[in-house]
Amino acid sequence: MLRIEGLTAAYDGPPALSDVSLHVDKGEILGLLGANNSGKSTLINCISGLVRPLAGCISFEGADITRLKPHERVANGIVQVPEGRQVFPQMSVLENLLLGGTSRGARSHRSTRLDQAFALFPRLAERRPQLAGTLSGGEQQMLAIGRALMSGPRLLMLDEPSLGLSPLFVQIIFKALGELNKEGLTLLLIEQNLTLTLAYASRGVVLERGQIAIEGTREMLKGDPRTRAAYLGL
Amino acid sequence: MDILLAQTLIQGLLIGGAYALIAIGMCLTYNVSGIVNFAHGDFLTLGMFIAFGLQAAAALDPYVSVAITLPLLAMLGALTYQYLLRPVARSHALVIIQLTLGLSFVLQNGLLMIFGGQPVRTPSALEASILVLGDLFIRTPQLIAFCTSLALTLVLFLVLGYTETGRRIRAVHQNPQAAALMGIDVPRVRTLTFAAGIGILAVSGALLLPGTTIWPAQGLRFTVITLMALILGGMTDFAGVYIGALVIGIAEAVGTVYVAGTTGMILPYGIFILVLLLRPNGLFGRAA
Repeated sequence: MLRIEGLTAAYDGPPALSDVSLHVDKGEILGLLGANNSGKSTLINCISGLVRPLAGCISFEGADITRLKPHERVANGIVQVPEGRQVFPQMSVLENLLLGGTSRGARSHRSTRLDQAFALFPRLAERRPQLAGTLSGGEQQMLAIGRALMSGPRLLMLDEPSLGLSPLFVQIIFKALGELNKEGLTLLLIEQNLTLTLAYASRGVVLERGQIAIEGTREMLKGDPRTRAAYLGL
Repeated sequence: MDILLAQTLIQGLLIGGAYALIAIGMCLTYNVSGIVNFAHGDFLTLGMFIAFGLQAAAALDPYVSVAITLPLLAMLGALTYQYLLRPVARSHALVIIQLTLGLSFVLQNGLLMIFGGQPVRTPSALEASILVLGDLFIRTPQLIAFCTSLALTLVLFLVLGYTETGRRIRAVHQNPQAAALMGIDVPRVRTLTFAAGIGILAVSGALLLPGTTIWPAQGLRFTVITLMALILGGMTDFAGVYIGALVIGIAEAVGTVYVAGTTGMILPYGIFILVLLLRPNGLFGRAA
């Protein structure tokens, strides 16, 4: 579904990613693992178009998207739930959700998708008129996911959705992600929580200093001592 | 109430209302692109001189020629953002200030080359029209300017608050990166907002023109008034900026009438400094 070849990216300084190639298959949950600064966020920001790669190409459903602008990728079905949730703090829950469905082709599906988001996270329906900035971290994460779903993604990328959440909310969020995946949504999941990722992801990629260190099925990663080592930055 | 005082306050209120629309224009461009445009007043002056030129060449009243100057200035605003400001948008704030100041000088001197340095007046159908309300005199153009500015501010407020476009603009203001991730074309929203913010100046120009003299170097004065209104109003909030502009207008009128000679012109600036000493976050600002 998504194919990345020879991707190299840098901010000012040494490359944050060098020569990364990977693919995401339709319907799977791919876990993207690695220590801090291993290039995980840079990778999905390249996929979202926020970071321009220096080399390499990205294709989605057979079409080259390397040169597309961020908003065009959203319209094509690639949506990111950014790290730290990034909800619009001074807008209501409802307005945040509506903004998620602002891209080309998404507006006609607005009311059905709104109902779906509220069905997935009933808490959001209760909080509908409340300003997003006043929500708890867990509620904001629900909102960020609900907002991303409003554009009808085919590939949903999540950057550390469990960051800073209580165990109860982590459970709710991951249960919802599991349901979405069962309904056919492909997920690319960045997580700090190794056990959690390996519980949900069918396959994983471990990044180490901008390069792929290990790649394989859940069982392979679980059995490989290097997984934990790379993850701890050893 | 003392008639002179009432007359002064009304005069200040009306002129402040006209200033408000200019400030709302900068409020838009500043909040959506993060750029303080020091050429803002010069774009206003440019709009006024184009209206003056159209009157001289084709006998178009400023109230009519706004149909030409509005799209012209909007387009100029869009081009300025797209080709001058956007390329440096990520640079140091000083670079952007230098660029917009440079633009201010280019516009000023361009006008000077074409129109010369003499103050000019633009004739208009209503320039001498005066409304008499009891003991009070109100110049009709100023009343029109006040009402139109207020109406346009309200329209913009409603557009921003309750339409799809407005929601996109607010999203870009609050978090441009998240807005891009939602599928919003951020550069396009910024360009359009710049077009709106500069385009508004054509309307302000037409409203201010009747009965006023203009000269090429007046732009900076309007930029300063705009910045004062914006800072008094807390930079982001339409209502605050609007009231900030009224405060400046009233201070200007009171200063001109009650303080002898040119010293009176200092009053708005004095009040501005005083307010900031007492309320550093603007009239309605909360402590950070």
